[in-house]
Amino acid sequence: MSFRIGIDIGGTFTDFALLEVGSGRLVIHKQLTTPADPSEAVLSGVPALLAKAGSDIGVVEAVVHGTTLITNALIERKGAVTGMLCTAGFMDVLDIGMERRYDMYDLRITYPDPLVPRQLRREVDERMLAGGRVGTALDLESVAATVEKLVEDDGVEALAVCLLNAYANPAHELAIADIVRKRFPALYISTSADVFPFIREYERWTTTTMNAFTQPMFDRYLDRLEGGLEALGFKGSLYIMTSSGGTVTPQTARRYPVRMLESGPAAGVLVSAHLGALLAQPNMLAYDMGGTTAKGALIRHGAPLKRYEMEVARTHDFKMGSGLPAKIPVIDLIEIGAGGGSIADVDIRGMIRVGPRSAGADPGPICYGQGGEQPTLTDANLLLGYLSADFFLGGDMALDTDHTKDVVGRVLAGPLDVSEARAAWGIHETVNEDIARAFRNHASERGFDYRGCAMVAFGGSGPVHAARVARKLRVPTVVFPVGAGVASAVGLLISPLAFETARSERVALEDLTAEDLAARFAPLVEEVSDYLRPEGIAEDEIRVSRWLDMRYRGQGYEIEVSLPDLHGSELLAALPSLFAEAYEAVFGRSFDQEPIEIINWKVEAAGPRPIGDGHYRLDVAPGPQALKGTRLAYFPEGDGFVSCPVYDRYTLAVGARFTGPALVEERESTCVIGVGDRAVIDDLGNLIVQTVQQEALS
Amino acid sequence: MKDIDPVNLGIMWDRLTAITDEILLSIVRTSFSVGVREAWDLACVLFDREGRSIAQATLSMPAFIGTAPFTMQHMLRRFPAETLAPGDVVVTNDPWLGTGHTPDICVMRPVFADGELIGFVMTISHLPDIGGAGLSPQATSIYVEGLILPICKLYQAGEPNQDIHDLLRVNVRTPDQVFGDLMANVNGTAVGGRLLREFMAEYGLTDLRALADGVIRQSERAIRERIAAIPDGVYRNEVDVEAVEGAVSLAVAITVDGDEVAIDFAGSGPSVPMAINVPLCYTRAFSTYAIKCLTTPSIPNNQGAVNPLRVTAPEGCILNAQRPSPTGGRHTIGWFIVPLIMGALAAAIPDRVQAEPGMASLFLLQGKRPDGRDVATQYFLAGGLGAMAGLDGRQTTPSPTNNAVVPSEVWESETGITVVRRRLLPDTGGPGEFRGGVGQEAVLRNDSGYPYTVSLFGMRTVYPARGYHGGGDGQRRRFAINGEQVAPKGRYVLRPGDTLTVHEAGGGGFGDPKARDRARVAQDVAAGFVTADAAARDYGETP
Repeated sequence: MSFRIGIDIGGTFTDFALLEVGSGRLVIHKQLTTPADPSEAVLSGVPALLAKAGSDIGVVEAVVHGTTLITNALIERKGAVTGMLCTAGFMDVLDIGMERRYDMYDLRITYPDPLVPRQLRREVDERMLAGGRVGTALDLESVAATVEKLVEDDGVEALAVCLLNAYANPAHELAIADIVRKRFPALYISTSADVFPFIREYERWTTTTMNAFTQPMFDRYLDRLEGGLEALGFKGSLYIMTSSGGTVTPQTARRYPVRMLESGPAAGVLVSAHLGALLAQPNMLAYDMGGTTAKGALIRHGAPLKRYEMEVARTHDFKMGSGLPAKIPVIDLIEIGAGGGSIADVDIRGMIRVGPRSAGADPGPICYGQGGEQPTLTDANLLLGYLSADFFLGGDMALDTDHTKDVVGRVLAGPLDVSEARAAWGIHETVNEDIARAFRNHASERGFDYRGCAMVAFGGSGPVHAARVARKLRVPTVVFPVGAGVASAVGLLISPLAFETARSERVALEDLTAEDLAARFAPLVEEVSDYLRPEGIAEDEIRVSRWLDMRYRGQGYEIEVSLPDLHGSELLAALPSLFAEAYEAVFGRSFDQEPIEIINWKVEAAGPRPIGDGHYRLDVAPGPQALKGTRLAYFPEGDGFVSCPVYDRYTLAVGARFTGPALVEERESTCVIGVGDRAVIDDLGNLIVQTVQQEALS
Repeated sequence: MKDIDPVNLGIMWDRLTAITDEILLSIVRTSFSVGVREAWDLACVLFDREGRSIAQATLSMPAFIGTAPFTMQHMLRRFPAETLAPGDVVVTNDPWLGTGHTPDICVMRPVFADGELIGFVMTISHLPDIGGAGLSPQATSIYVEGLILPICKLYQAGEPNQDIHDLLRVNVRTPDQVFGDLMANVNGTAVGGRLLREFMAEYGLTDLRALADGVIRQSERAIRERIAAIPDGVYRNEVDVEAVEGAVSLAVAITVDGDEVAIDFAGSGPSVPMAINVPLCYTRAFSTYAIKCLTTPSIPNNQGAVNPLRVTAPEGCILNAQRPSPTGGRHTIGWFIVPLIMGALAAAIPDRVQAEPGMASLFLLQGKRPDGRDVATQYFLAGGLGAMAGLDGRQTTPSPTNNAVVPSEVWESETGITVVRRRLLPDTGGPGEFRGGVGQEAVLRNDSGYPYTVSLFGMRTVYPARGYHGGGDGQRRRFAINGEQVAPKGRYVLRPGDTLTVHEAGGGGFGDPKARDRARVAQDVAAGFVTADAAARDYGETP
């Protein structure tokens, strides 16, 4: 019998999941995160998990790890003193930035400072021209002298090498890295074309500075983790989860820490995709909502949508544009600044507004009784009867309903001249609309028809809102998965070893030959496969996926075209129709006269799926007392509070059926089932709900 | 129908905005126009059945938000509501009825639910081409600025008005792209209709009246409260702006009376024989925008935000230009309306105004790539923002327009023009307790092997961005070809090997430089935003 362990470090909790490969037995564990040194919680939690499972670390074949360490280091600006080398004439790229205001009306918007201050940037005499031809040769000797000064006078510990047009020809960056490594072996070096060779210097260089800034810290962290696991007797392989849903070795993770930016949420999306396969639902919405933010993702034909850009460390009300852009392969997450801790108030319109401010964990919502005096979403959900004052976190934390009602009355209900319950409903439904809007816009931009697909809900607050959000979206099915409280840790268990890269090179389709096409993909396939081979993955087990970003010449948006298993002239001949199909899927039409260009070439190599299409089952025993009682909960269709049954999630038997309104409680959350919604527990313990759908006007 | 309670009103209001956002995104992603995809040169507005604006997409171009309600009224005068049928689509690009220049098409669709008219969806976007001579400052009349469609039906009850389609097709350079973008608007308004009906079904609404009343009432109340907080009085300002040869003067008198504001531009100079004249619709739009930034920046816009404002300008002045004045580059003058209004109110609400911005430059270029393929594109550079109480102006950030950086790597690969350098220009931000944002230098060299023509619509080469309350002025903008300074407005040819050098203007400072935090002065010197010499001169800081 062999085991895999998934460990996800979140802001508050570190989650553990252990899977017995073959039987599908799943054991979970949760403990508080240790922010000063996150490896502490990991190293004390692993033995606790193994004890629960009754197994020994000697038989654990793999530990898969996801972490928010990189994101936190960027938000808190706790990283290395980082220097930067740029092409002569371009050291101000980071300050010039996007030359854009991200809010047209707010005169007081602010922007994040570059990670490398202007004083630590130096220009290098060299120039690559567009297309990769050398315009000005590189002066290596002066580079060495410049770096020496940065190291000795300025105490630089990491160096970002960022040259213009390096995406087209990295020779100068590589030559600099080479000489600097020889002369300054202790210096951490990141070069822009290596970190991610995409066109657009501001984004690529910012990404490179993030990589450099976090590299020394992440290296030391992995040292501690590897040493600690070894000391516990671990003999298997350690893998780290990336933002794009694959795992990499610690060696790769050390080279590209910026690729680990969003690994926890990515893992949660993988669980949703996996469930989709088990439930024969190829198109899914993943919806995760915790204490401060909500995240969503779209899954098309069983695969999460990806993109190649995200934004980190937003400085102004979570607004898009107020953070640092990172160009890396990521699961295409929808981010919404709304969670259980989001604060509600009356805005200058005289309307309820929720977020983006959050009460966080300290002081937290009013009902926690830790000094919070501003109404939050969690407070609203308590007053609406969705959360139980006595069974929050399984009863570990008593909630203060009376005081919550007083404050909501004073801050919201009074000024609006409505009841506390209406005010609470206003908070709840405002958030539902925010979430639905974010899904709609995201889907609309990608030509994804969400009507008719299934939503998977997890996180502390996701299950409270999911059924109602689904109604708004005309999504007929909601899945509340088993093990929802540790979904990300479960996702780590099913993530394959994978690596992805891309090149920006614009080629007109009419100029492309079959030989060109093959010659451009071949080195990329080699490069990504090389990340898998040392882990003992056989050639025939490596799954290679290829994509082209294509567009009509003159249009600004590229469409990603997933390539079938065709090669040579067959593939070349198929490209126009593949593009037209993909274009029509998004835009509803295509143009047969417009010339087509290829912009980006993307390749991923992935190893076998660790558990294939296998299923897993939480290691709990159903009990006789599934119905715990009844509680009053607010449903507008019922004109206010209605009495509804409360079930214990863990003791509901397979095949149990009931119709909403109903509440299903688990330790980490409550699933709210709306009036008329029909629920069933499936064979694997998932709670599946069919929502009521309305007819539109004609 | 009875009033909607404040809880539902807030929720439904947000939903209206969500609907407009979704429409806007659907247009952006399908557009060929560089302006639409890079600069969000488009808008979406919802109207109730009386034609009152009730919601707009968050990322709409502010100028269009201001013009759309008037376009709607013009359309309803031409086609009264009771004559409209499901499937009708009404369009115009008339500068005086639309947005102030010919490339912007306004597309309006009436929305019906169960046979009843419930409202209207309008989208506006900048088309890839509209025929004529193309945008150039040197146009001398509107007749060379392309085809003008009067208010007409592009579709009647779902059937295309083929004459209009054909007329448009033979008048533009890239008909497929133009029709692609036009149809994106037509489809976007259809999507809007569907989303509105779904929303009404979900909330059990049969019309939008009560919702519209609530939305407008609450917005109007909010803006009136904030206007009332501005001391009553008449506030004046006058700025000189470079026009053809010499300056044109822009003057404003703002009367704040209780909770209403009247803005009058009497005293502004006459229209000029160059394509920088501003129709009143555009003047009004930027006036509304300025007042909104100063009063209620965080709430969605609608009819309620406009009701307390009155905007007037004498006929024939450059801010109320009449036919056939050319208007293609109306933004060149129109942008100055915002700082003109802020400057007037600087004394009344000193902690809310922003000192004058360095603004931005938009260049239109036509030529060939090294492979011989034609290119018609635009380049963009931003100057520094003005400072305000408590906040330095940011470097290289546009205002009051918005746009986005043209990455050098993308630019070089698409045009064959090499970016020799782009650097911040130290000391270009006006000194002050809060410093103006610095501008930048950009040097472009034509390495394509073919000539490029470049149209400049430059400004602030004579009159710098002024500082407020003791803050200094920003440095001026400058254009040079092969090192020789050239006039800021005109069409030039860049031969192979020629260089174009641009110095972008800095923003104005705010407050007395001597009051600036010493640590900030030192930081500015260390980072190179201010030189040691300038620190000594402007801030009395000895290095």
